[in-house]
Amino acid sequence: MSIKVLIVEDDREIRGLLRTALAAEGFEVLTAVSVSEATALLAHDSPDLVVLDLGLPDGDGAQLVRVVRSRSAMPIIVASARHQEAEKISLLDEGADDYLTKPFGVSELLARIRVALRHRGTALQPATTRYAQGDLLIDVDAYRVERDGLALHLTPTEFKLAARLVRAGGRVVTHRQLLADVWGAEHVLDTHYLRLYMGQLRAKLEAVPSAPRHLLTETGVGYRLAVD
Amino acid sequence: MNSSTAADRSGRWRSAVVAVALLAAATAACAVLDREISLMSQAMIYLLAVVAASYLLPRLAAVGSAIGAVAALNFFFVPPRYTLAVEHREHLIALAAMLAVALLVSYLSGALKRESAAARESESRAGQLASLAIDLAAAGSEDEAIDIGRRALLQRFAGPVLLVTSIDGAMATGVDVAEDVRRALRCCIDEAAILGPGTGRWPALEAWYVPLGTRGRVVGAARIEPALASDTIGREHAQAIAALVAQGVWRLRLLEANLAARAEVERQHVQATFLASVSHDLRTPLAAIVAAASSLEAQRSRLGEAEQGRMLAGIVAEARYLSAVTDNTLQLVRLSAGGPALRTEWQSLEEIVGSIVGRLRSRACAGRVRARVGRALPLVRGDATLLAQLATNLIDNALKYSDGAVDLTVVEQGGRLLVSVKDRGRGLAPGDESRVFEPFYRGRDTSEARGAGLGLALCRAIAVAHGGSLEVGRRARGGCRFTLALPVAEQPALEVPA
Repeated sequence: MSIKVLIVEDDREIRGLLRTALAAEGFEVLTAVSVSEATALLAHDSPDLVVLDLGLPDGDGAQLVRVVRSRSAMPIIVASARHQEAEKISLLDEGADDYLTKPFGVSELLARIRVALRHRGTALQPATTRYAQGDLLIDVDAYRVERDGLALHLTPTEFKLAARLVRAGGRVVTHRQLLADVWGAEHVLDTHYLRLYMGQLRAKLEAVPSAPRHLLTETGVGYRLAVD
Repeated sequence: MNSSTAADRSGRWRSAVVAVALLAAATAACAVLDREISLMSQAMIYLLAVVAASYLLPRLAAVGSAIGAVAALNFFFVPPRYTLAVEHREHLIALAAMLAVALLVSYLSGALKRESAAARESESRAGQLASLAIDLAAAGSEDEAIDIGRRALLQRFAGPVLLVTSIDGAMATGVDVAEDVRRALRCCIDEAAILGPGTGRWPALEAWYVPLGTRGRVVGAARIEPALASDTIGREHAQAIAALVAQGVWRLRLLEANLAARAEVERQHVQATFLASVSHDLRTPLAAIVAAASSLEAQRSRLGEAEQGRMLAGIVAEARYLSAVTDNTLQLVRLSAGGPALRTEWQSLEEIVGSIVGRLRSRACAGRVRARVGRALPLVRGDATLLAQLATNLIDNALKYSDGAVDLTVVEQGGRLLVSVKDRGRGLAPGDESRVFEPFYRGRDTSEARGAGLGLALCRAIAVAHGGSLEVGRRARGGCRFTLALPVAEQPALEVPA
């Protein structure tokens, strides 16, 4: 059975192009032009993934994210223009899985969809606890981090930070989410903790800390682990 | 004028006491010298007292002391003594003459006193008006001019004094006054005429309402207390002050209108240049996209696989460039419009450089960029998106204007973080060092490269918005070096264990 993707986008041209591009990859594509149409489709067709455009004519995407999250762990990818940065971040904090900044290429979209689908149904299946890519291995359950086969020592906070990114499995984790999960809700505004600890982590995990290959920065949004 | 009745009463008492004292002194002197001098000399002594009283006392008291002096001379020294009767006809004539002289002296000296007082007052008023004119000429704002006017009025009037401004007959808002006062001010401004006691208009008012300016050029009104119908001089003085203040305010308004007009011309010029540049920067890639896309649409069957691939790659590259130009333009407009302040957080330059290098990796030119970031650099306060855009623009610029390697380095030096981007391109023409940052400036011989104009202007705007600076210099063996300097603030503390 093919995977169903719901595209919520009010611009006809982009909607048409995305439909063609995704259909060519073998997805079954549903489209909606508004939040209300999307809500109706979600109820009847139960898609596997949603690509949600910000700034729809009939209301805010946050509402749709809440509706979806109240029922399922279906991946949501937010597509936004650059001036919608703040809205995008708040949607990620609300539970959207990932984002794309317009204009984006089809290959970027496909990469995001792949990452998102890998975690389909995370609410039911055990979360990702292992990251193995290139020279780096992080095994959360075994409390083990290796580079080039050599064990590395991480402080407890560094390990918590790395583990949080591993569990996201290549999806972006916002500053607020990281701060809340690693340091606690009272520290959600202390972004300097992240800068300092990410710096330490990169110094240990990356071959060239100023040209990271694993711990990627999403400028102004958060961090993610690089995956193929 | 401006004294109350109680003050009047005590003044009158003081005059009476002084008059009586002068007469008593004259009487005592005459009594002491009674045996040595004649009645004529005694009359002179009394006359002296009358002259002194005329000089020192108001007119009524002076006249009273003249009559009192004649009566006292008659009573104490003219025979028969201790009666008001007069024995000799000669003495009667002498007393009558003395009374006439005393009255005349008191009148003359009173007139002299009044004239000299009037001269003094008019001199002081002229002086006040002159210094008011000087103060007003130096006033830099309407509020200041109004304040100077208020202080000038308070020098002459006990107050309260109220000045309001109006524009095109509409009173300035935010003036908190009683309804009747507002109505009177309104009428004063509308009719451009003085109202109040002694003016023939609304004489029942308790204050004068003086328009600031003449008909057609009224810039406000003043309300002045106390206002006495008889105080013509005070009223004229108030009008003179009002005229000067009006002139000052009018001058400031003309100046402001003039400056605004000039700024508007300037703004339109900048806007026109801006639009011309942006439309150039947008049209060029658009033209390339349309050309390639329409060629693919119309001639696909006749184009080889490689040519089609090249055109498609060109469309993608041009579209990405278009997107970057749009971002730069919007960001520059946002920054120069003085919009909301930066969203600053602690940022790591290592991280920002890392994200840029990561993004370059997918591009063909990735191998040309060499990044070197110092170890354990301090954090800076800033907006990550803007700082990343700044560094990206500098790198793109270096890649575009040179063919070789581009070096990106970040070091800490003298309390600042220095981010340098160096290339070995043709470098700058002399004199271009400051002009490359002007919006829309393009270096010479750059007809084939484009869009540098806005990018560097935005870079500098971002640097300045972060309290830093962005400079460019020529390198010793060719090429140029852009250096961003960011201030390093006191580092934040960590409250949690490692």
